[in-house]
Amino acid sequence: MRKGHNIHKSQKLIRVMLEYEETDNTIISITIAGDFFLYPEEVLETLEANLIGTKLERDSLKQEIDKCLKNSEAFGFDSVSLTDAILGCAR
Amino acid sequence: MFSKIRVLETGYNPAALNMALDEAVMENVSEVPVLRIYGWRPAAVSVGYFQSIKEEVDLEKCRQLGVDIVRRLTGGGAVLHESELTYSFITRQYPQNIMESYRWICDAVVMSINRLGFNAIFVPLNDIIVNGKKVSGNAQTRKKGVLLQHGTILLSVNVNKMFSVLKVPSEKLRDKIIKDVKERVSGLAGRTFDDMASSIKTSFRDKFDATLIADDLNEKEISRAEWLAEHKYGSEGWNLKR
Repeated sequence: MRKGHNIHKSQKLIRVMLEYEETDNTIISITIAGDFFLYPEEVLETLEANLIGTKLERDSLKQEIDKCLKNSEAFGFDSVSLTDAILGCAR
Repeated sequence: MFSKIRVLETGYNPAALNMALDEAVMENVSEVPVLRIYGWRPAAVSVGYFQSIKEEVDLEKCRQLGVDIVRRLTGGGAVLHESELTYSFITRQYPQNIMESYRWICDAVVMSINRLGFNAIFVPLNDIIVNGKKVSGNAQTRKKGVLLQHGTILLSVNVNKMFSVLKVPSEKLRDKIIKDVKERVSGLAGRTFDDMASSIKTSFRDKFDATLIADDLNEKEISRAEWLAEHKYGSEGWNLKR
């Protein structure tokens, strides 16, 4: 298991704390924080839960994020910037 | 738009009670919207719902300076609440579009600042600026058909104190960040809390064409707020959740 941390500046600041399995490159746990807005707010907790087990690959991450954000409105980030923020933890 | 607005002037309170009062009033609001006007004593840092307190706030420095810390119900960034007026507007009737609803309420705040002789404008999503400098930040949440928007109207800004209690993303860039904030944020020089309170009430009255009803918190709101202040907003479980 490895840990990663990244601060990504999009329109707002996104902080990602990540634990991932090196052998199969999947997320074990993830916390996403920042000064963004997301409505409804509870979507972020759902997103964090749903990202567990997701591969640290651009397409897989973006697909999962798009799915979770489908019925919400985010201000200050989008699925592309959040994907970049997550991938930045594993560099 | 509204025939009446209930006005609550709840004075200066600690951070946990301030956030608890917003939530308690939100739970209790009728078809009559509420304009709450308040301040913070002691000074406090509030962080946005999605922020990490440990990443954003120097907890030890806050303890040394006697500055309260609390997580808000709303998103956005960390704020040092010291010399300002804070308002909350809580309503069951509001534009469903989020951008539109920010503008709808911020228009009244802009009017209140301009009534005091400034030339404020709203900058989406949630800022109000005067002469290019931010004087007000606003944030909202929606729960069970109720919208809460709260915001600060800065009377003066102590950027050095702000950055003694707030962490910066990069220590190497600390001086630059402080310089940038000094250039981008300002208070409404020469205006007092009472000036602002009077102006914001008049502006909400005019914006929404409503009669203002001065009121006090009721027993239910007070007891619920006291419970929330102790068990939610004063708790590590809430404040350190992220």
